[in-house]
Parts: sequence; C-alpha cells; structure tokens
Amino acid sequence: MELPVLIIILLITLIILALAVFLIATILELRKIDAGLGVVLEGVAEIATKTAPVNGVLDAINVTLVAGRDLLEGLALKKTGPDAAGLVESCFPGEGQRFLQRVGRRGPVVAIGEEYPRGTATLNALLGVSAAAPPAAAAEPADRISVVGARPWE
Amino acid sequence: MVILWVMCIVLTVALIALLVLLKGVLGAARSITPTVGAISGVAAAASKDLDAVIALVTTQNYISQVVAGLANYGGSLDVALPDA
Repeated sequence: MELPVLIIILLITLIILALAVFLIATILELRKIDAGLGVVLEGVAEIATKTAPVNGVLDAINVTLVAGRDLLEGLALKKTGPDAAGLVESCFPGEGQRFLQRVGRRGPVVAIGEEYPRGTATLNALLGVSAAAPPAAAAEPADRISVVGARPWE
Repeated sequence: MVILWVMCIVLTVALIALLVLLKGVLGAARSITPTVGAISGVAAAASKDLDAVIALVTTQNYISQVVAGLANYGGSLDVALPDA
C-alpha cells in the first residue's frame, strides 16, 4: 500500500474519531441541560400556580377600594359642594383634578389648605359651641379644622 | 499520485476545521449548563418568595371590613352634617 493512501486512511479515521468524541461530549452536556431545564420548569410551574389567584384577588381588592373611594368622594361632594375638590387636593396633592374628572365636573382646583374653616363652623354650630369659646380639650383653634390628622402617613 | 497527496492536504485541513468547530459547539453547550443551574436556583427562590401570596386573601378580607366600616362612618356623617 502506498504512503498517501495510508495517510488518507489515517486522516479519515481521525476525523471519525473527532466527530464521535466531540458529539458524544456534546450529547452528554445537552442531557445535563435537559435535566436542569426540567428543574427550572418545575419551579416555573410552581410560580405559575402560586400567582394564578393574584389577579382575581387584586381585582376584588381594587373593586372594594374604588367603592369606598366613590362613597367618600360622593359624601365630600354632597357635604362640601364646591370645596370638595379643594379638600381632596389638600389631603391628596394632585388628586383634586382627577376627583373633578371622576365626578364629571370642571374648573380650577384650589387647595383648601390644612384647615377648613367652613367645616369647623358647621361642627361648632352642630355642637352648640361658640367660635369665641373653644372647648378646653380642643388642640386646634376653634375656627379651624385641621386635615393633618386625616393623613396618618405624615 | 499527486491527487492522493492533494487529498491528504485537503483532509488535514478538514480535520483541523472540524476540530475547531466541534470544540466551539462543545464549549457553547458547556457554558449553558451553569446558567441553567443558576436559573433553576432563582426559580426555586422566586417560588419560595411567593409563599406569602396566600396572605392576599386575608388582606382582601381586611379591606372589605375596613370599607364596610368606612361606609358606616360615611352614613353617620351623612346624617350628622348638613348638605352643602
């Protein structure tokens, strides 16, 4: 047999060997990856199961909160009339305009501030307290009501 | 005879190229394995973190009670205060 033929046979054998070795090693790695992905899939399935009810619960919570907000906003509108948006703005800066949109009204929103004299006057009238003689236990001046207490996060 | 030698050279070049390419494929496959392991750990940790989600049901009940109390309070205010 001639030398070039022997070399060719040797090279072809080496090619086949290289293919076999590398492909077997790649197959083993791919099996490891497959096993790892199986574990990942279990974790993801668990996450999906645990988060499945979240949307429904959060929607229910939102519906309840929106109902409460609508109730209070309706009450504020009924009791304070044109001052309602200003009161909302005073308690929740930036919300006054959105409040007006929700109740279908327009106009500028002027924050009342942290005190609402008209409310104090109404309460004093209901309680029969004179504006000049505030109750001893009152921490605020008689002609003013502070809405600071309405914001517990401060 | 010359053709045989040319074939030898071609096969040698082919063997080298094949080795380089197969090494690249194996290296890529080996680099995926630790990443999959890391993702698996994160998925397990995320799943454990979500154990507290069930507490949302309790929160929902509390919020319902709070809003109900608020409604009662609003009703009292509606009666107590005159309309604008």
